Amino acid sequence: MKKSFAALFLVVLLSVSAFAADYYPEYTGRPTTITMWAWTSNENYSIEEFQKVYPDITVVWEDFGVHYEKAQTALAAGSGLPDVLMVEYSFAPEYMDLGAFQPINKWLDEETFIALYGEEALGWCSMDGQIYGTPQDSGAIALFYRQDLFDQYGLEVPRTWEEFAEQARKFKAAAPDLEFNAPPLGYALWWVGLVWQSGGKMFDYSDGNWYIDFTNPIAEKVFEFWGELIDEGTINVTMWWNADWYNSLNMGTTATVLNGCWFAEWLRYNAPDSEGMWRVIAPPNFDPSNPHNGMLGGSGFYVTAHSKNPEAAAIFVNWLNSHPDSLRCLNQYSNLPIMVSKRYEEVVHELAVDDAFFGGQNIVEELWHAHNLINTTFVGLPIWSNLDNALSLLLQDYVDGKIERFADILPMWEERVIGFMEEFGYPNVIIGELPQD
Amino acid sequence: MIRLNKARLKATMKAYLFLAPFLVVFIGLIVYPIGLGVRLSLYGQRGARMWYVGLDNYKRILSDSMFWESFRIPLFLLLIQVPLMLLLATIIALFYETRKNGGPLYRFIYYLPYTIPGIVSGIVWSYIFSDSMSPLLPFLELFGRTGVKFLTRSNVPGILLIIILWQFTGYTAFLVYSALIAIPKEYSEAAQLDGAGLWQIALRIKLPLLKGPLFTLFIFNAIGAMQVFNEPWMLGNLVVLPLNYTPAMYIYNSAFSQGRFTYAAAMGIILAVITCGFSWYILRSAGRQILERRH
Repeated sequence: MKKSFAALFLVVLLSVSAFAADYYPEYTGRPTTITMWAWTSNENYSIEEFQKVYPDITVVWEDFGVHYEKAQTALAAGSGLPDVLMVEYSFAPEYMDLGAFQPINKWLDEETFIALYGEEALGWCSMDGQIYGTPQDSGAIALFYRQDLFDQYGLEVPRTWEEFAEQARKFKAAAPDLEFNAPPLGYALWWVGLVWQSGGKMFDYSDGNWYIDFTNPIAEKVFEFWGELIDEGTINVTMWWNADWYNSLNMGTTATVLNGCWFAEWLRYNAPDSEGMWRVIAPPNFDPSNPHNGMLGGSGFYVTAHSKNPEAAAIFVNWLNSHPDSLRCLNQYSNLPIMVSKRYEEVVHELAVDDAFFGGQNIVEELWHAHNLINTTFVGLPIWSNLDNALSLLLQDYVDGKIERFADILPMWEERVIGFMEEFGYPNVIIGELPQD
Repeated sequence: MIRLNKARLKATMKAYLFLAPFLVVFIGLIVYPIGLGVRLSLYGQRGARMWYVGLDNYKRILSDSMFWESFRIPLFLLLIQVPLMLLLATIIALFYETRKNGGPLYRFIYYLPYTIPGIVSGIVWSYIFSDSMSPLLPFLELFGRTGVKFLTRSNVPGILLIIILWQFTGYTAFLVYSALIAIPKEYSEAAQLDGAGLWQIALRIKLPLLKGPLFTLFIFNAIGAMQVFNEPWMLGNLVVLPLNYTPAMYIYNSAFSQGRFTYAAAMGIILAVITCGFSWYILRSAGRQILERRH
């Protein structure tokens, strides 16, 4: 018994060190300094750990309020981007398509990438076989709910969307002034994310072509589901991220929120009075025997086309987002609950502790479970801000009474998005179908 | 002859010497960037790739309905907010004049909103019109009205009107008041001797003499209306506004959220030309009459 344990230990030890050597190549260049623009808080702890291993690479981290504005300006100017740029997965295809990044396959090949981050993540960090960066945090969708309201009104935590609708109606009947769930007025990520969460997608990129099909059965099912609840007045769409919205979360006038797992920290800081009330669970599914999940937000770190030292930058983004020493810092200091890297498994159980804000629930374990339900991927369209604004306007039209049936928004949205792809000069758009994987 | 020219040259040089501090800044920070903007507007662009397209951007803008629709809010402000504000400012300025020393306390209070940066006051206004936290709600409840939603898209022009009036009326009144005290006292004294009342003096004597300054203020505010950005930008956090709600917002969004810098530059040039053309037209037609009558 003891012997086999020791042998196992040895094997693990050997394989870990062998992995480590493979995953993180030695830096062969001269001592250098690279810059990074990122808005994750307290990234410096990971950087310190990195510089212990790679003393020849100094990383200078900068954080601006006008991150994307500055990046777009530098990109158009042809110079001025940092070596490493943080970009949300939804905006990454636009930057990849515009030539903002340079491939790092030389230092991080596809096989290693898949071993470290999983095959799904390729869709967020690569295009046409070129890998441009590494994924940091997960945006796995979770259902945040108020235990106090669930207790008070005798609600059950929904496992299926059917149960979700039942509880919503029950709640509305008992408390007409409160909201069971308030989907965002706009925020395309949320609606695209919920289609993804049901195992579907609305667009993709493959072999040089952009595919657009908003009216596929899964997307229609999701919009019909929400449309029924919204049309009958059981739930209402509302503007997110403003003072009214945070107030409703803080005061307990909204019972549930569907959002990316990073939202746990947003709640903690923006709804402090609700301490102890919230709980988290993986989102409901249409078919609980075949569960899926999707993401809402999350960001990757990409090596830009302006970087003069892509080797150092590539080594850094890979180490930053996959080495357990860094992942630990990202969880503890940067407040990211779940990292995409497969190696997060090595530290997640040690980091997952009872959380007083969530009534003592071990939310990291639950969110890690939600993250591991993600089993599909796709590439977002390279016109995200227009796609987002087009949906916002349609939802506002709906709220203003100009559109009668909520689900009608879906084909109208598709039409506008196709228009934008044309306006922005993409000739390679295939409409009405999605690539078969 | 030669001596005369020399003297003139010397005088001209002197003038430019005094103008130099202004000219350096003006050329470096206004003329040069406009020149760069014009050059930029002649290029097509996608990411870092740029290629010469001549006037293609301008042609596209002429048929870009999103650009022309964005002038609705500036036109609304031009036709409603600017005249209303000048009227209010004039009334307030005439009121200042009736107080001792022009009512310094009142002037101070009315001027205050102007000293607060637009974005800061915008955040405060967004609380005032918030659905759940508005301090106006208790008052409305007194009248039995609950669940009032202030911030709907159709209310935004009205809210913009309130915010801009609040911010700039006191400042404008201050300017009108300075023009008012520049009018020689003899005029109103003479009218008073002839038996004119306060109102008559205000309407018949002072107002006609204020036409020039009011007219200048109208042009300044018209330019401001064309370029309105801060207030609708801030309200965009509370209610969905299209990317092209005002011309300046459309230009900003085109450049910084869509990365179409050269297209945005061309729109900026067109907006500048429209604003200049408008000011020039007003100055020429209406302005000449007013200014001539004064002399």
